[in-house]
Amino acid sequence: MLSRVADALFWMSRYLERAEHIARLLDVCFHLEMDLRGVLAGLPELNWTSLAAILQQQPVPPHRFEGASPQAALSAWLTFDLQNPESIMSCVSRARYNARSIRGSINSEMWKELNKLYWQLCDPAFSNQARESPHEFYWAVECGSHLVQGVCDATLTHEEGWQFIQLGKFLERAGKTLRILDIQYQLLQELIDPGDRPLANLQWAAVLRSCRAYEAYQKLYVGRIEPEHVVDFLLLHAESPRSVRFSLESAAQALMAIEGASGGRGHSKAVRLLGQVLSDLKFAELEQILKGDLHQFLSGVMDRCNQVSRAIQAQYSLQ
Amino acid sequence: MTSPESRTDLFHDYSLGIAYDEMFEAPGQPRPHYRALYRRLQSLSPEEFRRRKTMTELSMLQDGVGFTVYRQEEGIERVWPMDPVPRIIPAREWKHIEAGLVQRLTALNLFLKDIYHDQLILRDRIIDPALIYQGTFFRREFMGATVPRDIYVHVCGTDLIRNDAGEYLVLEDNCRTPSGVSYMLQNRQVLKRVFPQLFEQYDVRVTDDYTAALLDVLKYIAPGGRSDPTIVLLSPGIYNSAYFEHTFLAQRMGIELVEGRDLVIDQNRVYMRTTRGLEPVDVIYRRIDDDFLDPLTFRPDSTLGVPGLVNAYRAGQVALANSIGTGIADDKGIYPFVPDMIRYYLKQDAILPNVETFRPLVPSHRSHVLANLDKLVVKTVNESGGYGMLIGPASTARQREEFRDYVQNRPRDFIAQPVIQLSVHPTFVDGDRLEGRHLDLRPFILCGEKITIVPGALTRVALPRGSLVVNSSQGGGSKDTWVLANGDE
Repeated sequence: MLSRVADALFWMSRYLERAEHIARLLDVCFHLEMDLRGVLAGLPELNWTSLAAILQQQPVPPHRFEGASPQAALSAWLTFDLQNPESIMSCVSRARYNARSIRGSINSEMWKELNKLYWQLCDPAFSNQARESPHEFYWAVECGSHLVQGVCDATLTHEEGWQFIQLGKFLERAGKTLRILDIQYQLLQELIDPGDRPLANLQWAAVLRSCRAYEAYQKLYVGRIEPEHVVDFLLLHAESPRSVRFSLESAAQALMAIEGASGGRGHSKAVRLLGQVLSDLKFAELEQILKGDLHQFLSGVMDRCNQVSRAIQAQYSLQ
Repeated sequence: MTSPESRTDLFHDYSLGIAYDEMFEAPGQPRPHYRALYRRLQSLSPEEFRRRKTMTELSMLQDGVGFTVYRQEEGIERVWPMDPVPRIIPAREWKHIEAGLVQRLTALNLFLKDIYHDQLILRDRIIDPALIYQGTFFRREFMGATVPRDIYVHVCGTDLIRNDAGEYLVLEDNCRTPSGVSYMLQNRQVLKRVFPQLFEQYDVRVTDDYTAALLDVLKYIAPGGRSDPTIVLLSPGIYNSAYFEHTFLAQRMGIELVEGRDLVIDQNRVYMRTTRGLEPVDVIYRRIDDDFLDPLTFRPDSTLGVPGLVNAYRAGQVALANSIGTGIADDKGIYPFVPDMIRYYLKQDAILPNVETFRPLVPSHRSHVLANLDKLVVKTVNESGGYGMLIGPASTARQREEFRDYVQNRPRDFIAQPVIQLSVHPTFVDGDRLEGRHLDLRPFILCGEKITIVPGALTRVALPRGSLVVNSSQGGGSKDTWVLANGDE
């Protein structure tokens, strides 16, 4: 496979996964805002602040959205603004741009679904929905991403190109889940007062929803949501497709398959790095992690994921 | 069948002009092969038709069928509008077109071989050598080079038009990197999807085989008869206006779409950079013009091409389709001589005539052109896309003065032709009715082991009323083109 094509497949997939995460986070934020309004004044703002922190967003440029409330400005900035490279629109555009440059290497069904998502976002009638019924809008974006991925898995041959798509998707997913856990855990740690329990429950449910893991969690653990269980589920669970461990395991499988196809001898730097971080997660003891500094642990994992990304880029000359 | 009088029908404003009408022989009287379609269209209300038309547009937008005008990363993307009323070519007419084009391409390939080797046609004074040497697209760097199987033009798109008598004439050949075939294929897919009823009662020949036929040609020219060659399509990249077509063809043929930066030459062998290292390439279907192909031989400032590619080609290590230097065959200054070539190489008369053409290099022609600038079409010999053209009857005095200057000072660079009223075809306009619009016909000719023409073509239609310019860049649209399997009904 052409290196340029591998690169485009990797980034197409990464940007699409990123757009999906941003959409879901915004959706959850809108919901939570309504619930929190009744609880405590000032909380909704906090909620938006943590969203910005998860996405590592700088403040919205002043005067960009004259007259809009800070929340409305932030959601517009994260949804439509092409000036923001991390907006949904930017991510979908870049996913499509990458796909366009390698249309011959994906199939027409996949291209069509991605293209549909793009044109849907460009349609003013559809974007109005973002204000009028945010849930419908963000869910449509999420569905668009699922459709592309579904068509991809069901119709594309699972060879090298498909593996690069998996690699991009799962590295991105691991990164985003790590950020969500990291930011929210720090924030919610303080809610230990028994009086805060309803609020904590609401917030932790939101964390799970941000990873589309709420229902799966509920099946596993009955009753109130416990922070330790959330960390366990989102970080270490072996079978949840949303967990960091699962994501990195899938990324490692993809990388091994690619390496096998490339006829490499021994393991490359990327595989070794990924294997190491993965085994830390596989053999981790939750209590140990929680007793220590979770933030430090999570950022450690994140740093090593970034190293893996760089090693992959260097090895396959993907820039 | 509902009575058409009971409501406004699509043909309520249809009138015949002086041009040949593809559908009607007289008012309200369709030609035999259009009768069934006419009845079908009569039964449709404008609202219904409008709905289907919208569906075609949506379908094309979602498939990403379009040409691009890029300004920034997210440029303007336009879909080339397809008119849902198909153009029908009866079997007997197609047979005539096919025979004419096979003859023409046979002669053009013989001409190119001759011009780059012995130049007998120049020696025998059929064509003035100066015309060749002054041609922009004559590649003297390529003299004496042998090309695989002696085929120069592998893919040709020849533009045909019909005069007011309905006679098919050749307007021009496109022997370099002709495009449009993806629209021929895509239009059929879209029309079948949104308007399946139109196909009832017709045996339309399938065009889908085109990509397989093209692949056969590309395999046939593999260097040294290598079996199972690696074939790639070389594209200038995403910013090229025909990029959609490049991806479409690469995908259909199952070959890699590469850009110049993906290829590298080592000891005259072409390789592509892959995740497994360098892999050899045998045949390149290139959609990059000669000028940009190889900065070492042609334009040194070009970054689209591959340094050393021309040498590898000369060394016989890689095959190119089309070959280098084919532009001299579609130079409009050479075009008037194609019937002479056919006579010279094949000892036959041209089956498909040319449009009458005046060459300002000939004194009597020049004076005729200068005296009739307001009646003629004057064209630059090497422009395409409807640029660099004077349409006499629609021109201003200033434009005519400008072209008078050109014709006098640069006679080699221009030709003139009478204005031909291209044939017209019912076309959906203003969202509520059908009116006649001018069109042309571009079949695609593949030259490999034999010459193959997939039964179909790109029909381009000029959408503004009265316009004779069908190019996509000038407000043209396209139509699905049906070649009928048998009978003429």
